[in-house]
Amino acid sequence: MTNLFKTMEINVGPQHPSTHGVLRLILELDGEIIKSCKPVVGYLHRGIEKMAENRSYLQYLPIVDRIDYLGGFFNSYAYCDCIEHLAEIDVPDKAKYIRVLCMELNRIASHLLWLGTFMLDLGASSPLFYCFRDRERILHIFEALTGQRMMYNYFTFGGVRFDIPSDIIDKISVFIEDMPECINDYENIITDNPIFVSRCKSKGILTKKNALQYSITGPNLRASGVNLDFRKSNPYLVYDRLNFDVSSDISGDAFSRYKVRIFELHSSLKIVEQCISFIKNSSDEFLNKSVKPVMLNIDNAEYTSSVESPRGLMSCTVMAGGKNPYRVKWRTGSYYAVQVLPELLINAELADLMAIFGSLDVILPEVDK
Amino acid sequence: MIKKIYKSILAIIIGHITVLKHAFKKRVTLEYPEVKPLLNDKFRGEHLFDINKCKACGMCQKVCPANAITIIKDENGLNEYSIDYKKCIFCGNCYYYCNFNAIMPSSNFELACSSKESLVITFKKAEEA
Repeated sequence: MTNLFKTMEINVGPQHPSTHGVLRLILELDGEIIKSCKPVVGYLHRGIEKMAENRSYLQYLPIVDRIDYLGGFFNSYAYCDCIEHLAEIDVPDKAKYIRVLCMELNRIASHLLWLGTFMLDLGASSPLFYCFRDRERILHIFEALTGQRMMYNYFTFGGVRFDIPSDIIDKISVFIEDMPECINDYENIITDNPIFVSRCKSKGILTKKNALQYSITGPNLRASGVNLDFRKSNPYLVYDRLNFDVSSDISGDAFSRYKVRIFELHSSLKIVEQCISFIKNSSDEFLNKSVKPVMLNIDNAEYTSSVESPRGLMSCTVMAGGKNPYRVKWRTGSYYAVQVLPELLINAELADLMAIFGSLDVILPEVDK
Repeated sequence: MIKKIYKSILAIIIGHITVLKHAFKKRVTLEYPEVKPLLNDKFRGEHLFDINKCKACGMCQKVCPANAITIIKDENGLNEYSIDYKKCIFCGNCYYYCNFNAIMPSSNFELACSSKESLVITFKKAEEA
């Protein structure tokens, strides 16, 4: 008789297919209802911040790609921007446009992977294949441009490593022509599907107050009614010269997070189009060749650079200390999304756990660093 | 209520038609061991090393983030050069910063082997007769 009123503690993860990495959740259940949740992070800790301290500025550059493996360009840019400010390196305009082009394509690839795996968490398997198929086209472009599919090491201090050849520009043009139809197809399959709607509408509501208190940024914050996009509010690179829209929604549930991300796919395509038209007509240099990255020596100084990554605000703080960084600090969006999870899960059903967690778009390597 | 049911059924039908449309599209996957992917020249796979071009300046060692490169010098210059694939992260810094094009990328990505020792690839200068 006493057991009836007891709650049960269960453990989800660390190795769970839906945790997008390695996350352990300790849940307290009353029947099927979650009463409390405690995330345990740190299983993917690689000491990326510490690694900077015994490497030169250049040696650390390939390692930052591995913080968030779905958005390598964002990490690289944040770090390069810091060093460029500290060492007073000028970046040519064309390099800035190439960086924006790469980052926006990267954002599309990241959102496509999120969409596929989110739908798989909800039990729909066909969108996964379509999303991966279309994402593969972007990865082929990246492979032809940078030499690898995910760990690019393409941005460098003062620009980018190689110029964009015209055949890759043609490939990107074809891709952005085809993509709106693909996104339309995903929406046909997903958006009005009654099972998807009933599993996502009013599930995992992140209120505006909670979102602001927990420092949530990116699409998760915009879905809760705060129209804050770092590309618009503090334009870095050439975002102030580009014409694009930012969407926001007020309900803050899993469905509105989905809608905001789908809208971002469209706006990223719009930015890529504008970048291509600039790069085609530009005869600028792609790299500031006066920089000698191997011999870089920066006096004691500190700089923080921020970038709007697919998972929210990502910032990199570098404290320079001569030939190697004295300290590097990374702030990543996913870390805060994991911290807010207990708030979203209280009184939710166990079956909704993965729908809510999946909608936050958390990447665990980015959390643990 | 009836309107909602009608809308739901319509959405499912549209979804199924879209899925059916995709079923007849061209296949994108490769049957890997038989069909190999086409890789471009920039692909960062196994290193190609030309020992006659190398001047043992140590630049690749300096820029390697994983300390995967070992250079042994003697009085005539370079004696032994080795790359440890257990440590290498394929970032490409060694060939981006080589001043003599002694080390180059290749598109060979099939590096699996059965012993740890064969992952350390050593190049030795040929003895002059």
